[in-house]
Amino acid sequence: MKIIVDLNLCQDHGQCAIAAPAVFRMNDDGKLEYEEIAEESRRAEVEEAADVCPVQAILIEG
Amino acid sequence: MTTTTQLDPTTVPSFDVADPAFSITSDEVHAARERSWYATTNYGIAVLRYDEVSRLLKHPKLRQGSVQWPAHNGVTEGPFAEWWASWILNKEGEEHHRLRRLMNPAFSPKLIGGLVPRFQALAAELVDAFERPDHCEFMREFAEPYAARVIAIMLGLPEDEWPIIAREATNIGLAMGVTIQSELPTIEGALERLYAYADALIDDRRANPGDDFVSTLVQATRDSDTLSDQELRDGLVLLIFGGYDTTRNQLGLAMQTFMAHPDQWRLLAERPELGGRAVEEVMRVNPTVRWVTREALEDFTFEGLDIAAGTTVHLFSESAGTDPRVFGEAGFDLTAERKPHFGFGGGAHHCLGHFVARSDMSEALPLLARRLRDPRPAGESTWLPDSGNTGPMTLPIAFTPGA
Ligand code: HEM
Ligand code: SF4
Repeated sequence: MKIIVDLNLCQDHGQCAIAAPAVFRMNDDGKLEYEEIAEESRRAEVEEAADVCPVQAILIEG
Repeated sequence: MTTTTQLDPTTVPSFDVADPAFSITSDEVHAARERSWYATTNYGIAVLRYDEVSRLLKHPKLRQGSVQWPAHNGVTEGPFAEWWASWILNKEGEEHHRLRRLMNPAFSPKLIGGLVPRFQALAAELVDAFERPDHCEFMREFAEPYAARVIAIMLGLPEDEWPIIAREATNIGLAMGVTIQSELPTIEGALERLYAYADALIDDRRANPGDDFVSTLVQATRDSDTLSDQELRDGLVLLIFGGYDTTRNQLGLAMQTFMAHPDQWRLLAERPELGGRAVEEVMRVNPTVRWVTREALEDFTFEGLDIAAGTTVHLFSESAGTDPRVFGEAGFDLTAERKPHFGFGGGAHHCLGHFVARSDMSEALPLLARRLRDPRPAGESTWLPDSGNTGPMTLPIAFTPGA
């Protein structure tokens, strides 16, 4: 599955990194880094990350 | 003083934020913001500008700053101190992330979306029940029952028991004041009654699970981990407490702001789809959580300022939300595109209940705009101090009834 984060919207709250730490993480400067392609087995947690993002910046394709 | 500064100290403003007369939205604070991005306070520093607030809110060297509050005020043991320590707000790192992961599904926008028709019906019912057709005490007749019944709807409690929620949440709120120690018997009595409520709910939903909020919490599983009964009761009581007062106060502040901007109130009545924008714009210029608290985990330097471990950092939400560097001389305008406000905090501790709060307030405000035309103050209102968490205690208003 493909993951797109709208970086114009993203405020680096890091809620996605709490919900799906295998796919999203916050670097030492507190900025978001993430995998653009995630394994199907991660779908539930990636969907949860998209759900909890306070600014709804995460889009899942496929 | 726990901070040392490399800037010329004569240019750094200083606030006595413990003084009940201190106003966090005063001209003094706004003038200070033009001189310096921060001020010193009796506890540490206050951050005044949008960009710095936004960055420090999520800064990896800062933790949420409320954990020491009871201890700093002489309350170190007993049921209240234990409950406080259990709060998700007062946990950090993996312990915090675990609780957040387990609680997230209950707060998902999908689950909350199903409650919207009930929020609409509730708002209409309350306005219909006003004692007088053209006058109300807005807090007692609308904001309080609305905020408490939204919690009852969420938790699946009988809505007619809302005065218990309101009363016990208010009693627990005494713990946020400096008189916490002398109020402890009242606070702990309220805690005990809310625990009994929560326990009964948990037992009921374990026995009769549905797809409601409490069932979702009770059944929440992540990597075969679940919330214990103790965590569930602590969490439920926190939600009652954390969700009631904030929503009540934010609704009162919304009414205050709109009374000062009658054209925007009329616009909202005509265009109810602006309800969501109304919530955001109100929370930008008039947030109930006037400061969000952080504490430095270790020594670090930010924008040339050395911040020592243990320093309390207060992020001033209204000052940041009206920072001319970002918003220009912008007035209050529901149709403008704005950068995000900080009324729900941010980072790892970003308000867990924001979808609920946003959706219930964005239903209430357009309905009020339609039914309460030309609202204006009618007599003396009374206010909480303008710092920490604020709002009206009473807000009598007159209006022209609308259809
Ligand atoms: C207008 C209404 C509300 C406002 C203004 C508000 C504001 C806030 C703020 C400022 C924080 C702290 C964020 C930080 O330190 O960065 C917070 C946290 C929290 N809020 Fe809200 N809140 C509201 C409604 C609610 C509701 C309705 C609930 C639950 C039913 C709720 C549950 C929580 C919880 C559990 C936390 C702690 C989250 C964590 O530490 O991970 N809030 N809220
Ligand atoms: S939760 Fe949303 S805002 Fe926060 S870092 Fe992830 S994508 Fe960005």
